[in-house]
Amino acid sequence: MFGYIVRRLMTAFLVVVLVSMVTFTLFFKGPSDPASALCEETGGRCTAAELNSIREQMGLNDGLVVNYSRFVKGLFVDREMYYQGEQMCEAPCFGISYGSRQPVTPQFVEKWPATVSLAVGAVLLYVIIGMTLGSLAARFRGSFFDRAVVGVATVITAVPYYVLALVAWIVLVLQLSIFPETGYHPFTDSPVLWASGLLLPWVVLAFAYAPANMRYMRGYMVESLGEDYIRTARAKGMSQQGVVFKHGLRAAIVPMTTIVGLEFAVLLAGTVFTEFLFEIDGIGWWSINSLGNPIDFPVLNITGTAAAVLIVLGNLIVDLLYAVLDPRVRLA
Amino acid sequence: MSLSMARLEAETPEPGDVPVEKSAAIVGKSPTQIALGRLRKDKTAVVCIAVLVVVIALAVLAPVITSILDIHERREPGSLNAAEWTDQFGYPVTGPPYYGFDPNHPLGISPKEANDNLARLLYGVRNSLFIGAVVAFSALLIGTTIGLAAGFSRGWLDRILSFVIDLFLAFPFFFFAMALSPIIGNAFSQNDVGLAVASFIGLIIFLIIFSWMSLARLVRGQVISLREREFILAAEVIGVPMRRVLFKELLPNLVAPLVVWFSVAVPTAVALEVALTLLGLGVSGTPTLGLLVQEARGYWDTYPLYLWTPVGAVVVITLALNLLGDSVRDAFDPKTRR
Repeated sequence: MFGYIVRRLMTAFLVVVLVSMVTFTLFFKGPSDPASALCEETGGRCTAAELNSIREQMGLNDGLVVNYSRFVKGLFVDREMYYQGEQMCEAPCFGISYGSRQPVTPQFVEKWPATVSLAVGAVLLYVIIGMTLGSLAARFRGSFFDRAVVGVATVITAVPYYVLALVAWIVLVLQLSIFPETGYHPFTDSPVLWASGLLLPWVVLAFAYAPANMRYMRGYMVESLGEDYIRTARAKGMSQQGVVFKHGLRAAIVPMTTIVGLEFAVLLAGTVFTEFLFEIDGIGWWSINSLGNPIDFPVLNITGTAAAVLIVLGNLIVDLLYAVLDPRVRLA
Repeated sequence: MSLSMARLEAETPEPGDVPVEKSAAIVGKSPTQIALGRLRKDKTAVVCIAVLVVVIALAVLAPVITSILDIHERREPGSLNAAEWTDQFGYPVTGPPYYGFDPNHPLGISPKEANDNLARLLYGVRNSLFIGAVVAFSALLIGTTIGLAAGFSRGWLDRILSFVIDLFLAFPFFFFAMALSPIIGNAFSQNDVGLAVASFIGLIIFLIIFSWMSLARLVRGQVISLREREFILAAEVIGVPMRRVLFKELLPNLVAPLVVWFSVAVPTAVALEVALTLLGLGVSGTPTLGLLVQEARGYWDTYPLYLWTPVGAVVVITLALNLLGDSVRDAFDPKTRR
């Protein structure tokens, strides 16, 4: 078990490092040119010499390898960075945003709660809805209720989430004004505003994710209710409730943790489209807004790295959890 | 003997409602034929296929239809000024939203640029379906090749390929889209036509790069379990060359998962194009369903028809493709009957 965790952590680390290297290279060689943007701000008197001096000050003339190693060092040690004057960038330094001209790490810490609120609320909502409907559909398999739920779920999952969200936003917020204006307000400021601003995004995310989870849940539950131990439980005179919830449901929840866990990791990494559409000031919206000119690479760097770390860690945690929940699974 | 014959006869239904061919000889059916037979009996699948046939016909015949109706996806520069067709606020001076039905432009003309909406919709469907088909097919080839190679080669090659698959799965998809789309945008920033073509091709390549992994995993898993089966061992023992084992013995057994995967991959690619373009990361200039929705997003109150026609098209196409995908999976895999 311990060896397994160490090996998995090493692979995960390698994956994250590779992702970070590729992203860094892409931007360093590619479109993000903060120096010329800075240079043009000097009032249209940007000369080649001036551009070069700015590049020199920012260290962009030193090549990819030197810059990447500086970046890696900055993750562990405070680092002096040049962007219109020297700035101190504290220990986990992902650079200074070209837009706000502040180090991005504190900004990330500031914006992440919005994304976390969105993800946690949505997951709670759709897990409850999806699992309840799924287990009920499995319990009353073949009934009208079962067929109706499965049919509706099939149709909803077949329509792209983005279209659903767009239509929900236009119809429910703009045209009918049923839902309050969306947006993020910190929970500590006002719990009511916090909840009302996130209500529609939660509902829309739940509406989009619940059907798939409901179908998985129904599938696992149908499978577990067909097992021999269910027949044994029935044979020994256990109540219907007891059989379904104690034996059937418990067995079906185990594989569900894998699915929900991974979905949660992805949601935490920033639901770009949801935040973009509902104007929630989380990391997804932040990254989309960083695509101006010049492209705000430090912002994309920290959000992209966070996403990779979350997905890789989510995978690992889910696998470990699986071994805890299901005694038959042995990790080696 | 006679007794068992009698029982057999009792069990077979009365002749008359049974076609003669069936009782005459038992015809062998391949699993694919059985699955296609099931598909034919599935009402949802038949409806979806009918819808898709119409949509595909419209898409393929888009140039013909537009030339018959004399509508144009893009106004020829110089021939008719867009300003003549729009008022000072950019709204069209003929047809919806303010002037009723215009037979020359059945779905009206777009604000500002004054292009014909029906022509743009037809070309949008055409381009989106093209993206879906090309992406799914290319990813099918890549995924199958890598999955076969990884599954069939034990040892280091398998380990490397599996790592590559995991690596691609860990790459945050949207962040890479954000990284790559400006590269293409900057490279063609001076040239509108070049940008349209480049962003279209760039999007296709991007979607291919990020859609083959699930299939590669699937194929690898299947191959690992198949390669220990007797028929593969037998083929190896009697000295069948590796290429023949791969393509004549292994691949036919993978037809079902490949077909199922493909049927889901097409709508996924179509939906991803819509998503990326809505975020401003996808195509620009070439009409696709995503671009049509994205351009019309701000007109929900003043020009609803302009917005709801492409949204409706996206819903109908993805719904039909996805439901057909579900039916295909049910038909090919008897275990997942609903």
